[in-house]
Amino acid sequence: MKKMSKTARSNLITYGIVILAYVGCEIWMRFGNMSSLMKGLLVPLCVYAILAVSLNLTVGILGELSLGHAGFMCVGAFASAAFTKCMEQAIPVPTVRFIIAVLIGVVCAGICGILVGIPVLRLRGDYLAIVTLAFGEIIKNLVNAIYLGVDSNGFHLSMKSMLALNMEADGMVIINGAQGITGAPSDSNFTLGIIMLLITLFIVLNLINSRAGRAIMAIRDNRIAAESIGINITKYKIMAFSISAAMAGAAGVLYAHNLTTLTALPKNFGYNMSITILVFVVLGGIGSIRGSMISAVILTMLPEMLRSLDEYRMLIYAIVLIAAMILTWSPKAIELRERYSPLKLLRRKEKEVQ
Amino acid sequence: MSMLEVKNLGISFGGLRAVDDFNLTIEKGELYGLIGPNGAGKTTVFNMLTGVYKPTDGKILLDGEDVTGKRTIELNKEGIARTFQNIRLFSDLSVLDNVKVALHNQKEYTYSTLTGILRLPRYYRLEKEMDARAMELLEVFGLDKEADYKASNLPYGKQRELEIARAMATNPKLLLLDEPAAGMNPNETQSLMNTIRFVRDKFDMTILLIEHDMKLVSGICERLTVLNFGQILASGDTAEVLKDPKVITAYLGE
Ligand SMILES: Nc1ncnc2c1ncn2[C@@H]1O[C@H](COP(=O)(O)OP(=O)(O)O)[C@@H](O)[C@H]1O
Ligand SMILES: [Mg+2]
Repeated sequence: MKKMSKTARSNLITYGIVILAYVGCEIWMRFGNMSSLMKGLLVPLCVYAILAVSLNLTVGILGELSLGHAGFMCVGAFASAAFTKCMEQAIPVPTVRFIIAVLIGVVCAGICGILVGIPVLRLRGDYLAIVTLAFGEIIKNLVNAIYLGVDSNGFHLSMKSMLALNMEADGMVIINGAQGITGAPSDSNFTLGIIMLLITLFIVLNLINSRAGRAIMAIRDNRIAAESIGINITKYKIMAFSISAAMAGAAGVLYAHNLTTLTALPKNFGYNMSITILVFVVLGGIGSIRGSMISAVILTMLPEMLRSLDEYRMLIYAIVLIAAMILTWSPKAIELRERYSPLKLLRRKEKEVQ
Repeated sequence: MSMLEVKNLGISFGGLRAVDDFNLTIEKGELYGLIGPNGAGKTTVFNMLTGVYKPTDGKILLDGEDVTGKRTIELNKEGIARTFQNIRLFSDLSVLDNVKVALHNQKEYTYSTLTGILRLPRYYRLEKEMDARAMELLEVFGLDKEADYKASNLPYGKQRELEIARAMATNPKLLLLDEPAAGMNPNETQSLMNTIRFVRDKFDMTILLIEHDMKLVSGICERLTVLNFGQILASGDTAEVLKDPKVITAYLGE
């Protein structure tokens, strides 16, 4: 067998898990009796997995705390949904429209990441947490106050009301303040979600094992030493943070195109959401890409699966959180995991074969 | 031309004059020692040479070029590399990656972030070359067998040597070692002395080191400067400086 590095193999296992999960779900959907609840969860699961993986780039790989990941998701969601609503007639092929929407969401969220990162990441303290927290809340409130329409004279923008847009009779409202964006076609689906998750993993995992990724992790481990070997701290911090933000934007695109009505609520784009994503990352193991993906999936499914238990639901959820915390972080559990990790077992088998 | 020429270097922190009128000339290939009691200002001199602190006065010439006031990363690109009094490794990276990351600015190993993400052929070729170069350096320091270890899992003495290997990977003209033997036992110190001498001979490296271990200093340094309360007390050939009564009372005699 061809010799493969430990990381290359670990990455393959990560991709393998996603593909197996996809095939499993497809078979279940076609030949089994997947509940409509579960069907409705498939795209959101991809969304949360992408969010967790991308936040881990900031928190685990760069070592900076971000409390506004949902804000970047919000930017991606609204920018792309506005595009899709405008272009429904002009670009009739849903997949083509969706790919362009993803690019738009990624670029808009990425630019926001750069704009937040440039002033904040130059500073030496832990200012990012505060600024991203504020950014997330500002974006959510801003989106709720925007009225955007288009008619034969072009685009109209107002921060007051729909009437203030002063549109011709043929006009179409794109963003209707707190009512958000209604009636954009739902172009996303599970397959597209899985492809986006795989691309996210591909970017993050390949970045980590490259020249830039090593520089980013060196900054995380020891900023002063990284500087002493000639690494441009600000450049790599901004790079990691804006890539992370751009991928949150991609998750937002997927999220927005799975809904008929897109509104910005505290629940989906607020502070709570940012913390939920952070919980996925912490429980999955800070810096462990596969871990954050798996914990996002489990922690998203769990409350839904436990619906029938009603009042015990949140209790069980809390117990699982605590158990996961112990399993992820206690030294004994780490030792056990290392001893029985699938990688180790595989290698042991190989040795026996040789 | 001298490799390093420092003229009238000085720095004040508020009212405190940490280093004053500091002069130093080191020739290429020389092994030079900087000694003095704790708090004398030795590390502060290193911090000025590496741009961590901006000197309040004076000039620094590296290989004839004025590099005063440049930033840390520029000074590293110019050819000044260092180790730290308190070990500063990239603790969660492997031993190999600690060295590979220090190849960051060398033209022959540079590829773009996009090349890395897309895994273009250039990525595989340069990573292989970096592995080879890093292993070569690790062998010099006897760390090649531990290449896959996490840096923080190395024993203390080896961590200090890995820091030197990492500094060497930036391909410096001048290597600054801040108390490289601190916390080592006599055996480790002996092996460190051999390594330092070997690095100087093999790479024709110019080395300036801060050290408290007199056996190491007298064993490998050709010339010395003694610093006391931020000022030069004595400098010259090692044997002569160590005999100087001023030095003995201020520092060695105790
Ligand atoms: N950033 C700083 N701010 C204020 N004082 C400093 C700073 N860095 C060093 N000093 C002071 O400069 C003096 C020399 O310190 P240092 O160079 O670390 O001594 P050593 O010779 O033991 O390496 C000490 O009195 C120290 O407190
Ligand atoms: Mg010191």
